[in-house]
Amino acid sequence: MEKIIDYINGELPEHEKRAFEERLALDPELRAACEEEKALWNLMAEIKAPAVNEHIKSRFLDTLQVYKEAAAPRPGFLSRLKEIWNFQPQLKLSYALVLLCVGLGTGLYLNRKNHGEIARMSAEVSEMKQMMVLSLIENPSATERIRAVSMTQEIRNVDDTVIEALLSTLNRDPNDNVRLMTLEALTELADNPKVREGLVQSIVLQTSPIMQSAMADVMLKLQEKRSVKPLQKMLNRDDLNSTVKDKVEQTIQEILI
Amino acid sequence: MLKVKAGDLDRMGLLFERHYKPLFGFLYRMTADRESSEDMVQNVFLRMLKYRHTFKGNGEFRTWMYHLARNVLNDHHKGNKRHAAPLAQEPGDVADEAPENTMEEQVHLLNRALNKLSDENREILVLSRYQELAYREIAQILDISEANVRVRIHRAMVQLKSAYLKLAD
Repeated sequence: MEKIIDYINGELPEHEKRAFEERLALDPELRAACEEEKALWNLMAEIKAPAVNEHIKSRFLDTLQVYKEAAAPRPGFLSRLKEIWNFQPQLKLSYALVLLCVGLGTGLYLNRKNHGEIARMSAEVSEMKQMMVLSLIENPSATERIRAVSMTQEIRNVDDTVIEALLSTLNRDPNDNVRLMTLEALTELADNPKVREGLVQSIVLQTSPIMQSAMADVMLKLQEKRSVKPLQKMLNRDDLNSTVKDKVEQTIQEILI
Repeated sequence: MLKVKAGDLDRMGLLFERHYKPLFGFLYRMTADRESSEDMVQNVFLRMLKYRHTFKGNGEFRTWMYHLARNVLNDHHKGNKRHAAPLAQEPGDVADEAPENTMEEQVHLLNRALNKLSDENREILVLSRYQELAYREIAQILDISEANVRVRIHRAMVQLKSAYLKLAD
């Protein structure tokens, strides 16, 4: 009897179903019970539930919307950063960075190149000036020679040739003004031992009182002790101006102090 | 449901569309309270949203839905002692007023007989007869064996017949 409802429900396994149907065909009592149960089962289907109110659908969809909004994850700090990064036009940013790097690189390269160029040009100018000095210093015009001497002050690294030319001018130029200018120019180069040596040796060669006095001033200024002997030698000269003599004596004393 | 679980909450609207009518039928037949049943339909689907991570995906959605519905029903019963309401009885429908028509009378008596069953017996008959679930599914929902389902359905039918015959006499 237990199997009747399972049979009606179609829940009997195939072999049990076949066996049950065989029994059903042979057993009128079972068949009656089965019919009765089936009638009850079918009658149950007549008990209807009311139709569901359709508004619950829209009500749920509204609730779902609210739930979705409430459940939406709030972006954390990292994800916000990520969003900002994602928002940025990365391609454009990379492009801009590449352009910036290229610009900086080119600028640096040109700057270095320019520095090299300037240094080279500066050296060339310096060389040209030295050549002009050497050329002008031989000029018959005293004005040109003075120009040549003053030009040496514009030359950064005066080479030995120019120094020799200046010392030669200091010792041999016939014009006092030229020699004075030359002495002034050489005083500026007194850090060079060769210049100092040349200046000391030049003392005895000076015959003009103005140059003798100027040489004494320069030696005092440079505190050049090696100049004492040449200065004393100068004092022995018969043609020495008395004013110059006093000055040289005083200079020697001051140098020796 | 797996898509809902994965975060596609829009799919829940589709699942609601597909299942809300049979779910309402189950809840109504268990409570005979139309308004509460509609509320409970909403609650079942909201629980699906809330507990979507517990849906394993290896079982059927339907069994999971009825499992949640039974929990909602239990909560409803706890909060409402009048849960033994007559099955499919509209408000104002007095049980003792039997219709004149024979067929209608039979249906009315059977309805009263169903209402006299225990919750457990009524539930298994509702799941089988009205929700048209297979024994295998009912076994999953009630967390019992299929053999146990067979026994319980047979027992419920015996009691229903008995109650019905008593009322018919």
